[in-house]
Amino acid sequence: MTALCLASETFMPPELVDEPTDTDVVRKAAAGDRRAFEMLYRRHSSRVYGAVLRLAGYDHARAEDLVQEAFVRAWQKLDSFRHESSFGTWIYRLAVNTALMSIRARNADPVSILDDEHMPDQGDTPFCPAERDELERAIGTLPPRARAVLVLHDVEGWKHEEIATELGMAVGTSKAQLHRARGLLKRVLGERP
Amino acid sequence: MNEFEHLRQMRALKQPVAPSRDLWADIDRRIEASERAASPGRARQPRRWLAVAAIAMLAVLSGGLGLRLAMQPAAVTPTVATAKAWKPDDPRLTGAAVELSSAHMELSQAMQQSPDSAALQRLLLRTERQQDRLRHLEQQAG
Repeated sequence: MTALCLASETFMPPELVDEPTDTDVVRKAAAGDRRAFEMLYRRHSSRVYGAVLRLAGYDHARAEDLVQEAFVRAWQKLDSFRHESSFGTWIYRLAVNTALMSIRARNADPVSILDDEHMPDQGDTPFCPAERDELERAIGTLPPRARAVLVLHDVEGWKHEEIATELGMAVGTSKAQLHRARGLLKRVLGERP
Repeated sequence: MNEFEHLRQMRALKQPVAPSRDLWADIDRRIEASERAASPGRARQPRRWLAVAAIAMLAVLSGGLGLRLAMQPAAVTPTVATAKAWKPDDPRLTGAAVELSSAHMELSQAMQQSPDSAALQRLLLRTERQQDRLRHLEQQAG
């Protein structure tokens, strides 16, 4: 048997190495094990950060702060986590909620931050689907509440009822905000609404 | 661009994004600070510590009590001597007898300090009745 065969027999791909499940790690963390909680952070930070970053209008400094706050809140609330959903879903919702709370706390007026008069003029530049950065930048220019509705509905796939509950608004307002946000986005991207 | 195309592009944005730097050190610091600031936040470990302290205190108390029982001179009070002398043969009654004996001894000592205390007298009487009942039970058990 060659060394290569031996190596191939003993090699264990990383995904096959026994790793503790989230449920086990959450239990350890809930008992006060900070290293277990760090493991949860490492597993879920990218998904959480992505969602918060979009809600924060691609403001990285703000997203970092919100993600830190979300994980601190998660640590404090771990005792109340009942394993009814996965930890990933729980921390994602908690982080999104933290971001939305910050939007609500800022009491941002969706119209005053960026209204039609202050829209950057993009002329007749055609929309290019490949330019992801441009789309992200355009989302970043939207008023916070309109952006939150747009991101939650069109990107994250939430329903208007959920958005309305989380943002403390009527379902009709959520629909109106989405319509407006899409219109503003098209304007920013240089399309006709 | 129609709505379908718009949604397709928007959904494509739903991807995990790794933070540009490791946020764990800051999170760890914030957790530490919040736990220091708010004592309810530190509830997990102190609760365990408190339980250990309570058990240790109980052990010391019962040890001390046992020692005092063992070293108690027989002539302190006749009741105590009687209580100490009585050891039921039935192992099921032994624990209760020891408890009652020590309670009786404590009450007798307290009575020496405050002989006029009605509450202590009541407690002593009740303890003696319980001891009588225990003796009665032992006799019944044969």
